[in-house]
Amino acid sequence: MINEYLNLLLKDYTLQIITLGTAVLGAVCGMLGSFAVLRKQSLLGDAISHASLPGIAIVFLVLGVKSNNGLLLGALASGLVSAVFIKGIISKTHLKADTALGIVLSTFFGFGMLLLTYIQKLPNANQSGLEKYLFGQAATLLASDVWLMTAIAGISLLIVLLFWKEFKMVLFDPDYTKTLGFNVKFIDTLITSFIVIAIVMGLQTVGVVLMSAMLLAPAAAARQWTNSLAKMVMLAGLFGATSGVVGTAISASANNLSTGPVIVLIATLFVVFSFVFSPIRGLLFKQIKLWKNRNDLKLMKTLMFMYNLVKDHEDISHPHKIQLLNNFQGYTKKSLKRLQAEDLILLNRSDWSLTEKGFNTAKNLYTQEL
Amino acid sequence: MTNAQLEIQIILSLVAVACALPGVFLVLRKMALISDAISHSILPGIVLGFFITQDLASPLLIVMATLTGVLTVVLVEYIQKTGLVKEDTAIGLVFPSMFSIGVILIARNAGDVHLDVDAVLLGEVAFAPFDRWMYNGIDMGPKSLWMIGTILTVSISLLILFFKELKVATFDAGLAASLGFTPIGIHYGLMTVSSVTTVGAFDAIGAILVVAFMIVPAASIYLLTNNLKKMLVYSALLGVFASIVGYWIAHFLDASIAGTIATVLGLLFFMVYLFAPDKGYISQWYKIKQQKTEVAMLVFMLHIANHEEEQERNVNHLQEHINWTSQLARKVLRLANQNNMIVIKNDVVSLTPKGAEFTNKAVSYISDNKNAELEGIKQNFFLFRG
Repeated sequence: MINEYLNLLLKDYTLQIITLGTAVLGAVCGMLGSFAVLRKQSLLGDAISHASLPGIAIVFLVLGVKSNNGLLLGALASGLVSAVFIKGIISKTHLKADTALGIVLSTFFGFGMLLLTYIQKLPNANQSGLEKYLFGQAATLLASDVWLMTAIAGISLLIVLLFWKEFKMVLFDPDYTKTLGFNVKFIDTLITSFIVIAIVMGLQTVGVVLMSAMLLAPAAAARQWTNSLAKMVMLAGLFGATSGVVGTAISASANNLSTGPVIVLIATLFVVFSFVFSPIRGLLFKQIKLWKNRNDLKLMKTLMFMYNLVKDHEDISHPHKIQLLNNFQGYTKKSLKRLQAEDLILLNRSDWSLTEKGFNTAKNLYTQEL
Repeated sequence: MTNAQLEIQIILSLVAVACALPGVFLVLRKMALISDAISHSILPGIVLGFFITQDLASPLLIVMATLTGVLTVVLVEYIQKTGLVKEDTAIGLVFPSMFSIGVILIARNAGDVHLDVDAVLLGEVAFAPFDRWMYNGIDMGPKSLWMIGTILTVSISLLILFFKELKVATFDAGLAASLGFTPIGIHYGLMTVSSVTTVGAFDAIGAILVVAFMIVPAASIYLLTNNLKKMLVYSALLGVFASIVGYWIAHFLDASIAGTIATVLGLLFFMVYLFAPDKGYISQWYKIKQQKTEVAMLVFMLHIANHEEEQERNVNHLQEHINWTSQLARKVLRLANQNNMIVIKNDVVSLTPKGAEFTNKAVSYISDNKNAELEGIKQNFFLFRG
């Protein structure tokens, strides 16, 4: 099946364009999404993508024709305006970020719908294709769209590299950055603007509703594997691009599978996999660590019990019967073997005896003086 | 006004009230975006329910959709508890994937399903009066009117029954737990009501604009009052007002009713945001401006009090010493002079007895920062606001 798809990919120019487009989009979204996630602005993407609708509608009303770049510019303007509104509500009132996002998201979208339905009732409106911005249609990507996307991706990569130090500082300690004399407001606006640009770029491909996941999922997955910002940004870009390519491949090889939702589900799979299997923060690893800790605790409890039996004897290494341990629950054959492996006890058939090391370990167990 | 128009307005008003009530608590609990998440992720529930019943108004649909709504909340909370990502990221991860599943389910069965994602996302209340409930051949009115009416009745009864618990759990979850109110139970109850309301409202106003109906009235009223009961009543009224005004504007423009209502709500919020006394943009801006002047004045007075030497107190020297623009320096100087805090003789500033007393008070306030003195100081400040 994979071979079949690769053959198709080699022959089909449109498919090549779409694959390239979704890959570039995924990479840019992953990269810029990392900043959004770390700034706790994860849902900004959702709000801005919904809020771009009135911009699209207004450009359409004014120009009357469906010029792709014009619509994108409209979306961009309206996205930026919405970002300003969100910021204004958060900083000037006691309403919290979630409420501000909810207000802007829903009222801007409602206004967009008002305009769109108004347009649809105008006599010569060629409104078909506007709907694709709601759900996205990767299939309508043209070569020129993809070149534009690549150019924007290049520019945002350049900006991220140029302002790397500033971005990083604002991300982790905005107050300190301010005291060092950096223009935090400018850097802040720069990051937000590029996030808006990435969102607008993605509207055509994955649509308004799913755009936020494109931004978030790769970054959230990448976050689980590393604590370094540089690595996280690169990983997120990689995850995003892979989601794009794989999602496009799956939707191209099956009937009736829209590309946007498939890409989002693939990205979500990356997240689930990372949540479970990441070696440091992952749920599986944490569980294993928990089990190991519990085991160790039981082992030490056994050792402590032995120590209490032995401590009044003159010869600490005097052998005792294993049966003595029977009324104590913490031991198994395996745990005795592990204790022996660590040179804490000596086993001799049905007898055990504490070693010097075992005795001292148990003695200092509670006092931590090892 | 025709009968259908009246029915549409009644349905819209009921939806507005039904949404505003849980919305108030969502806004207060800083969970406004949960409504966004629920409204999107009920899609797979609706689709599955629709596969089974083939009827958009069947009770099973509501049950399935409510279940997916609650499932969303549970998933979000589970992810949050792992501590791997922040809460907002958890929301942003869950609902798009649920929504994607819904879209794919519809697309895969496009042939035999007459369900449109647009219909779920955008809704259309204009058709509501045509889907009527016939009982024994008698016309009982539109189905959606009955549905939203039932939901509203249930949520109002729940609200009255559990008002005290909701209030305590919202403002002090710890206290609620210690009083034995199980904040978790209240939380899931609220989530269930929100889900049910979202489901009941989506075919009238669409899933995305449910968020507007829930959040915007509550947020607007929250800028005007801190009283929970007033918030509930006024949010509901604001929702109804916006619905009826929005309906007629939409009628006039021949545009989407839900979209127009959301726009009206947005405009109303914007007005409140600008003009709310005390918490609005303009009043905040004014307050901050005054505080800046007050601080500048205080800095100035302390500076004068700290320097005995005449050259340090020269009018021209001041400007460079405190690093002010000449405009600000002139303004502060004039204000202090007007309030008899200082006298200027030969371009040298000195404190009057009143100014010295004020400065002493301010210093002692700043150094012990006692609340009791705060009030007196505030009144003193009020003297030279002018």
